[in-house]
Amino acid sequence: MSGARLPSHLKFLCVVCPNGCDLVVAVEGTSPPKVLDVTGHRCPRGVDYAVSEVERPLRSIASSVRVRGGEMSLASVRTDRPIPLESVFGVMEEIRRCVAEAPVRIGDVLLENPAGTGCRILATRNVEHLEKRGCQRG
Amino acid sequence: MKCEIRGVVVIGGGPAGLAAALSAVEAGCRDVLLLERDIRLGGILNQCIHDGFGLHAFGEALSGPEYAARYIDRVRTHDIEVRTGSMVLSLSRDRVLEVSSRNGYGTIRADAVVLAMGCRERTREALSIPGARPSGIYTAGAAQNLMNLENILPGRRAVILGSGDIGLIMARRMVLEGASVEGVYEVLPYASGLPRNLRQCLDDYGIPLHLSTTVTEVLGKGRLEGVVVSRVDESRSPIPGTEREVPCDVLLLSVGLIPENELARGCGISLDFRTGGAVVDETFMTDVPGVFACGNALHVHDLVDWVSVEASEAGREAADWAVAFRRGREPEVPVSLPVKAGEGVRYVLPGRLRGGRDAVLSLRVLAPGRDRDVILRVEGRDVLRRTFPRVHPAEMLRLAVPGSDLPPGGVVEVVSS
Amino acid sequence: MERRYDVLIAGGGVVGCAIARELSRYRVRTALLDRERDVGLGTSCRNSGVLHSGINYTPGTLRARLAVEGNRRMHALCRDLRVKCRTIGKLTVAQDEEDTATLARLLEQGIANGVPGLRIIGQEEMRRLQPGVEGIRALHSPSSGIVSPYALTVALAENAVTNGVHVHLGQEVLEIRPRLPEDGGGFVVRTAAGDRFIALVVVNAAGVFADRIAALAGIPGFRIYPCRGEYYVLDRRFDGVLRTLVYPAPRPHHPGLGIHLTPTVDGNILIGPSAEYVEDPGDLACTAAILRKLQEKGRGLLPDLAGADFIRSFAGIRAKQSPPEEGGTRDYIIEDHKDVKGFINLVGIESPGLTASPAIAVMVAEMVGHHLPLEEKETFVSCREGRREFFCELAPEEKAALVAEDPDYGEVVCRCEGITRREVLDALANPLGARTLVSLKYRARVTMGRCQGGFCLPRIVRILRDEFGYDPEDYFLRGDSSPLFVGKVREDAVLRTSVFAEGVRP
Repeated sequence: MSGARLPSHLKFLCVVCPNGCDLVVAVEGTSPPKVLDVTGHRCPRGVDYAVSEVERPLRSIASSVRVRGGEMSLASVRTDRPIPLESVFGVMEEIRRCVAEAPVRIGDVLLENPAGTGCRILATRNVEHLEKRGCQRG
Repeated sequence: MKCEIRGVVVIGGGPAGLAAALSAVEAGCRDVLLLERDIRLGGILNQCIHDGFGLHAFGEALSGPEYAARYIDRVRTHDIEVRTGSMVLSLSRDRVLEVSSRNGYGTIRADAVVLAMGCRERTREALSIPGARPSGIYTAGAAQNLMNLENILPGRRAVILGSGDIGLIMARRMVLEGASVEGVYEVLPYASGLPRNLRQCLDDYGIPLHLSTTVTEVLGKGRLEGVVVSRVDESRSPIPGTEREVPCDVLLLSVGLIPENELARGCGISLDFRTGGAVVDETFMTDVPGVFACGNALHVHDLVDWVSVEASEAGREAADWAVAFRRGREPEVPVSLPVKAGEGVRYVLPGRLRGGRDAVLSLRVLAPGRDRDVILRVEGRDVLRRTFPRVHPAEMLRLAVPGSDLPPGGVVEVVSS
Repeated sequence: MERRYDVLIAGGGVVGCAIARELSRYRVRTALLDRERDVGLGTSCRNSGVLHSGINYTPGTLRARLAVEGNRRMHALCRDLRVKCRTIGKLTVAQDEEDTATLARLLEQGIANGVPGLRIIGQEEMRRLQPGVEGIRALHSPSSGIVSPYALTVALAENAVTNGVHVHLGQEVLEIRPRLPEDGGGFVVRTAAGDRFIALVVVNAAGVFADRIAALAGIPGFRIYPCRGEYYVLDRRFDGVLRTLVYPAPRPHHPGLGIHLTPTVDGNILIGPSAEYVEDPGDLACTAAILRKLQEKGRGLLPDLAGADFIRSFAGIRAKQSPPEEGGTRDYIIEDHKDVKGFINLVGIESPGLTASPAIAVMVAEMVGHHLPLEEKETFVSCREGRREFFCELAPEEKAALVAEDPDYGEVVCRCEGITRREVLDALANPLGARTLVSLKYRARVTMGRCQGGFCLPRIVRILRDEFGYDPEDYFLRGDSSPLFVGKVREDAVLRTSVFAEGVRP
């Protein structure tokens, strides 16, 4: 991730299907790295996965957004689609600065296009408004 | 003191309990009561904010709370009485529950009970890690709860012991919140977590994984200051001379999950020492008539989707039992025989089989491998063989077996080679 | 801050707290100081909790006399203070003829010490008292028992406070200067927190630090050799396996009484203690070698033991006067010092310190009486309010009635030990203002179960936040140097819950 020279052969498991092929990927040590060859796969999806993982890994991330006026102080959130690994920390910065107002519902879009990724940050938990919960405890 | 008589009582409102309750009411039971000790339903899913739940059940990559919400919404639209903030303190062999909540303390006599209490984490104490007693040592699940539900950061410089999925997930969580993770240490020569998590939680962030290494001492008088790690040999004994000090202010332990079996013990239910949960047959009934078990309370799962499938089965069986019981006919318990976990297999569930009906056997292997055969033997004869391209002790395998292959009274063994 | 007292007790262990409580019977202004954020955090909460009979001590010694008298006084004290104490008796077991000779010696010694009911019994009777016990014969001491050492220490301190004693926590004594008679006599005591206390009499009840306190008062020549004992705590599912205490016949030069199994009043079994001299009196670490040894010993005595049954390990430090070369145990030093007037010096109060504490308290009060008039207070409240048992130990009808009256009894906070929200709130409202996790543990048993806080910690976190407005930085394990957390995940998330009952705090 830091842009250092990579070794010329990478080995990792393909997670696309339960076969779990052991991929061997020949890589040119440029920055960003470039795939030269893929072996070990049993289907073409393995090649796509290898290329994606090496040249432009995509990840979904989950985190928390602070909520104002809610019965809980945090709403869990996630990206609505995988985003480039290299933009994860940029997205986290925006998530950290974001404040949502209660009530929050699963699926609410709390952030649009953070760090230019084109994704949306969705709430994954319901957070009721503080007063609505009343004196319920236990 | 309040004493109620109820139909199917489900203990636990996490994914197992939710699915069991739904399935019981769908199977025709009119009196289904779901008891949850927390203030909200959802169980452990409430704190599992990462995705990967529901790939099989819904074809989507949901977070824990979203998966739970799908079931909670359905529970709300069905005729199920839900009591949150209610803890079951004891269960007797004749299915009398002692229940306590802010609304009162009393007993419930149930026609059928479903144990769905989930599991708890192995502690530092149970590992006997020597050294001082500073603050800053948490199980990974407790840290997850504190961070995701209570908005509390347990530390800034973490060492993680155990390469189970919870530890890996928390490694990533800590890094994303600006903490540093010095390393993940695993006593076995291979990682326990899913390869996807190794890649996306450790490799992505340059967190080193040290295999065959464990924490052999805790340092720090008041707050944790560091740990000593040592390499271990094949018998998992520390190798003298390999000790290394790793500074840290928080130690997260991801060293194993133990099914919640307090209620089962108190009830006299036979437990399987290999799974930590109750011994059940293919109807998920324990050896106490009318008491069923499912989910992580029965055996620790790695995919919640299968928890829901298993719990639905258990709920249906519990409902059938309860209905028969109400009609005045306590069902006879057919004879079941123990299922043998043979070579290469750590455990098979159910641990007993009546036979004569389709069953799904869940099992775990002893060691990782490729292109491994799992063989079902009945009375010594190979009856079913399935090849799995990749097997790992951390990943539960499921073997669907037709009833015709399971004659009642036939001794069953499952092996892996 | 400068405070003036008649008596200042340095050290809030079970002995210091017992002395404080005893002095609180009289019109004597008493202060109890401890360096920690609660009483009892030294050795008093880290021992076997045994009420000794007095057979093990040489006749004529203070240890012997105070053990027997303390044992006698303990029952009424525990009843008044609502502390669990069970006289389950003890078998000191002989494996061979050498041991049998030891038993005969102990019997003679016990009789000379005034220990009641001692008998040598054979295997059949041994097995009736304790099924499965191995050995050829045993000395049965029916007056031995078990008591909760932390519940007792806390109860003594809290009752002392009820009766007017001032407890000052977080006050490590740094200086003790005698004052000239023309200035009023007594001592000026200065603490690490920067406070000054003036007292006519100072009592040194500092346990493993007693030599330091004595030296500060200008009394050199004492040295405490810290001797650490490690323990394992076993899961409560073994409750009932041990019906009585079972000890091996002692070996002469052993610094302790050997590793054995001890049942506790709360239903656990302790394995231990080991005995190892250490340099640092605060070295409470457990060691790999000893833990292994304790596990082996446990498995030998209880073959049913699984790894998960060892739920906790801990260590305590004995304040030994005898160095390693000497071994054994010297007699207590409890003296009204002849040269440093008004300084009452207690040195080397190791086992049976817990047992002897009520008797030590009476003895020290008498010494205080040589310096100050001891007028009894009519307002002395000897009984503590509240219940001895926890909610979970009550009968079902009682539980139902309590929950109906107070819903906080219906909310279970510690699942393993069955502790309710009401009991946690009551513990947090203690008169010492002690609200660390360890303080809560010793009063309400939370985190002492098999899951070691896995379930209850988030609930305790919420209670402290909702009832006391705690932020992450406000939580401590035992004191200032052991914060639990480092901060918030998201700052500025102001969490206010609406879940206060009527009577909201501001």
